[in-house]
Amino acid sequence: MSTQVRSYKANKVLERLTKKVNRQIAGTMLACVHCGQCTDSCHYVQTNPGDHTFVPAWKADRVRKLFKRHMDWTGRVIPWWVKAGSVYTDEELEELKDIVFGKCTNCRRCTLNCPMGVDFATMNRMARGLLVSVGIMPEGVAVVSKDQWEIGNQMGVLKEDYLDTLEWMEEELRSDLDDPTVEIPVDKEDCEVVYTINPREAKYDPRTISDAAKIFHVAGENWTMPSEGWDMTNFGLFSGDDDLGGAVARRVYEAVVRLRGKKLVISECGHGYRSTRCEGPNWGGVDLPFEAESSVLTMLRYIKEGRIKVDPSKNDFSVTFHDSCNNARSCGLFEEPRELLNLVTSDFREMYPNRAENYCCTGGGGAMSMSEYAPMRLKSAKVKADQLAATGAEYVVTSCHNCVDGLNDLIKHYKLPMKVTQLVNLVADALVIEPAKASVVVEKKPEAAPAVDETPTVAAALPLEGRKILVIDDEPDIRTFLSTVLEDNGASVLTAGNGDEGMEKARAERPDLITLDLNMPGRDGGQIYSAIRADEDLKDIPVVIITGKPELRKLIYDKDVRRPEGYLDKPVKEDTLLTNVRKVLEVGADDVN
Amino acid sequence: MSEALHFAEHTLQEATLVIMAIVYTSRLVWLFRRFKAGKERQGPTGAPNTTPRKGFLYSWAIIGMPWVMESSRTKPIMYGTFVIFHLGVVLAIAESFIIPYGASMLAANPWLATLIQVSTGAACAVGVFRIIRRVSDSNMRAISSPDDYFSLVLLTVWFAFASLSAPNQGVPEWVLLTYFWMTAFFLLYVPFSKISHYLYYPITRYYLGKSLGNRGVYPIVPSAPGYGESTAK
Ligand code: SF4
Ligand code: SF4
Repeated sequence: MSTQVRSYKANKVLERLTKKVNRQIAGTMLACVHCGQCTDSCHYVQTNPGDHTFVPAWKADRVRKLFKRHMDWTGRVIPWWVKAGSVYTDEELEELKDIVFGKCTNCRRCTLNCPMGVDFATMNRMARGLLVSVGIMPEGVAVVSKDQWEIGNQMGVLKEDYLDTLEWMEEELRSDLDDPTVEIPVDKEDCEVVYTINPREAKYDPRTISDAAKIFHVAGENWTMPSEGWDMTNFGLFSGDDDLGGAVARRVYEAVVRLRGKKLVISECGHGYRSTRCEGPNWGGVDLPFEAESSVLTMLRYIKEGRIKVDPSKNDFSVTFHDSCNNARSCGLFEEPRELLNLVTSDFREMYPNRAENYCCTGGGGAMSMSEYAPMRLKSAKVKADQLAATGAEYVVTSCHNCVDGLNDLIKHYKLPMKVTQLVNLVADALVIEPAKASVVVEKKPEAAPAVDETPTVAAALPLEGRKILVIDDEPDIRTFLSTVLEDNGASVLTAGNGDEGMEKARAERPDLITLDLNMPGRDGGQIYSAIRADEDLKDIPVVIITGKPELRKLIYDKDVRRPEGYLDKPVKEDTLLTNVRKVLEVGADDVN
Repeated sequence: MSEALHFAEHTLQEATLVIMAIVYTSRLVWLFRRFKAGKERQGPTGAPNTTPRKGFLYSWAIIGMPWVMESSRTKPIMYGTFVIFHLGVVLAIAESFIIPYGASMLAANPWLATLIQVSTGAACAVGVFRIIRRVSDSNMRAISSPDDYFSLVLLTVWFAFASLSAPNQGVPEWVLLTYFWMTAFFLLYVPFSKISHYLYYPITRYYLGKSLGNRGVYPIVPSAPGYGESTAK
C-alpha cells in the first residue's frame, strides 16, 4: 500500500465503500471482462466519438479500481496488473464526481446490453452516494436534497402553497365541469385511492393535478390527496443517498397508512414510480401494507372497467411515446402506456428503438438539476432528438415529469417542431362526460319495463329493473353474491357454473349483460369470451370480466377481439359492481372502445 | 511416453486442478460470506408473464439468445466470434482430459481430433482478431488492463497448442509438453484473472434477472412492434 497521506473525505469514502458493497454490486465489480459490448449503447458515447471517458466500462472502472485495490485479491497484491487504484485527495473525489454525476444518467441502457449482467447504473448510484456522504456533489443535487430533507419535497413547495394550488385547481375544475360539487379531497380517510404527485405539478404544471382530479371525479373514485407526504419523487434515487431515499419513501407510506388508504396511486413520474413503488421499501426497510400503482394503470383500468369513457378523436394530432428509463428499464411499464395511448389518441406512432431499448431523455439521473453539465447533456441529447424527429409526430407523450423537462429542453435546443405532453392530459382531454348519474338512471329505464312509481327515489332504488343479467362463475359463493346484489337492484339474474352452460343460457335467454369469470374448469373464460364475440347473436351483449386472477387478463387482452365492456378484480365490492354494471348498461358496448 | 510428458499430463494437471478447486471454493466462500445479498422487498410490477424465476432463467439464457440484446443483435460478427472463442475454450479443456484419460477415444474417432483441431484453431484465429481489436480500438485500449492483454494472449497461444496437440498420436512431444504446461499455468492463473468471469456470470445474471423479473422487465418481449429497430444512429 502507498504511504501517501489520504484526505479525511477520501478515507471516509473508502471506509463506506467496504460497507456499502453488497453481493449484487460485488458481482458487478468482479464480472466485467472489458469486452466493450456495452460501449455503443450509451448515448454519451454515440455523441462523443473518440472520447473514451464516456465509455461505460471506463466510467465503471473509476469506481471499480477502488474495489479492486481495497477489497479484491489480485488488486491488493499487484494493483497495476488489473488497474486497481485508490483515492487520496479531495481533487480526485471531485474528478470522480464529474464522472458519476456528469457523464452518466444512470439510464441502465448499458446494463441491459451487458452480456455479463454488469449493472453499472446501480454501481454508479452507489458511487454517487459515497460522494454525497462526504459532501461532494453538484450544487443542484445539494440544494434539492436539502429541500427534500427539510421541507419534505424536492422543489421546496411550502405546505400552504401546495394546499392553495389544490384549492385553485378545485375551483378551476368546478367551473370547467360546471359542477359545484367537484372536489379535490385532502386528508380524507378510508379512501380507495391516495394520490401522490411530483412537486413540479404543484409548482409548474398544476393542470396535471386538475386533469387527474377530473378523471377521478368522472370515474366516481373515492380518493384523496395527503397534506403531508404528498411528494412521491425521491432525490435519493439520483443522489445515491439511501437514507434520504428511505426517509422520503416512508413519508409517503406513512401518509397512506395515516389516512387508512387502500391504494397508493403514483402520478406519472418515472423516478417517482421507481422510488416509491420499487426501491422505497428496500431503502426504508418496510413492507408495504397497501397496494401501490402508477396512475397509468389506474386510468387504463377505469377505461376497461367502463368507469370513464373516452373519445380518441378528441386528440386527433399525431403522437409518439417516450419510455422513461425508470418506468421501462427498471419497472417494466412498457405496454400499459401504449394501450392507454391507443385508447385516447387517434394517430400514435412508435418511436424506434423503444421500450427497454429506448434512449434516455438525457435529463435523467437528476441531470436537470446539475446546470454545470448542461452543455454536455444537450450534446448527448442529439441521439434523442434524432429519434424524436424520425417519428414526425406533433407531440411526444411521456409518463415522467423529469422526461417532460428533459425533452422540452432538447426540443428547444434542436428546434424540433414538437410539443411534450403526458397521458393524464390526453386522457382528461379525451373524456366523454355524461350527465349526472341519477338522472341517467331515470332516463335509461327500459321502455318495456313495467310502470313503476315515477319518483326518482324509486327509480334509483331499483336501477337495474327490467335488465336480464347472466352470471357465469364456477364458485357458488360468488354466484350467490353477484346474483343477490344484482337482484336486490332490480335485475333478473340467470346463473351458470361453467362456460358451456353459460353459452347455452346466453343463447336461450339473450341477457342484457354477462358477467364472466376467467378461471373456470373446462373451457376457460378467455375461450368463452371469444365464443361470445364470435357468435352473431351474442356478440353485441356487453361483458364484464370479474376475476380473482389479474394475470389471466392476457386470456382476453392478448386476443384480437373487441375488449370487454368492464373489468373487475375479485373480491368485488357491492358498490363497485353496481357502478360498473350500471355504467356498462348505460353506455352500451360500442361506446367503450 | 517420456516421464516429463507423463508428469505434465497427469501429476501436474491433477495437482493444478486441486489447487484451482481450492482457490475457486475459497473465492466463492469469500463472495458469499463477505457480501450479503441486498434484500428486495418490492411487490411485483409489470406483465404477468414476468416473474423473478422467469427473470433469472431468462437472464441466464440470454447469452444464447443474441436477438434479445441490442449489443449482440446489431453485432452478429462479434457474437459469432464470442461463440467460436468460448467453444474453443470448452474443447481445449476437454482435450486436456481426453489425451491423458481417453486417448483411445481419439484414436478410434478421428473426427473428434479434427473437431477439436478445427474449433481450437478457429478460436485461435478469433483470439488474434480480438488482440488486434483490443490494441487498435482506442475505446478498447482505454478499458484494457495488463491482465486483459495477458489473458487474451495466453488463451490465443494456448488455443494454438491445443489445436496442434489434438491428434495426440504423432504430435511432437515439445508441442504436447507446451500444451500441458500452459494448461497447468492457465488453471493456476485463472482464479486471479478476468478469465474467472464464468464463475460470476451465474451470480450477476441471477440477481439482475431476479430483480428485473420481479419488476416486469425480464423476459423482454422482442416481438413487440418496432422493438429494436433503430433510427437513432
Ligand atoms: S460492462 Fe459488460 S459489456 Fe461492458 S465491457 Fe464490461 S462485461 Fe463488457
Ligand atoms: S447508465 Fe446510461 S448514461 Fe450511464 S453509462 Fe450506461 S448507458 Fe451511459
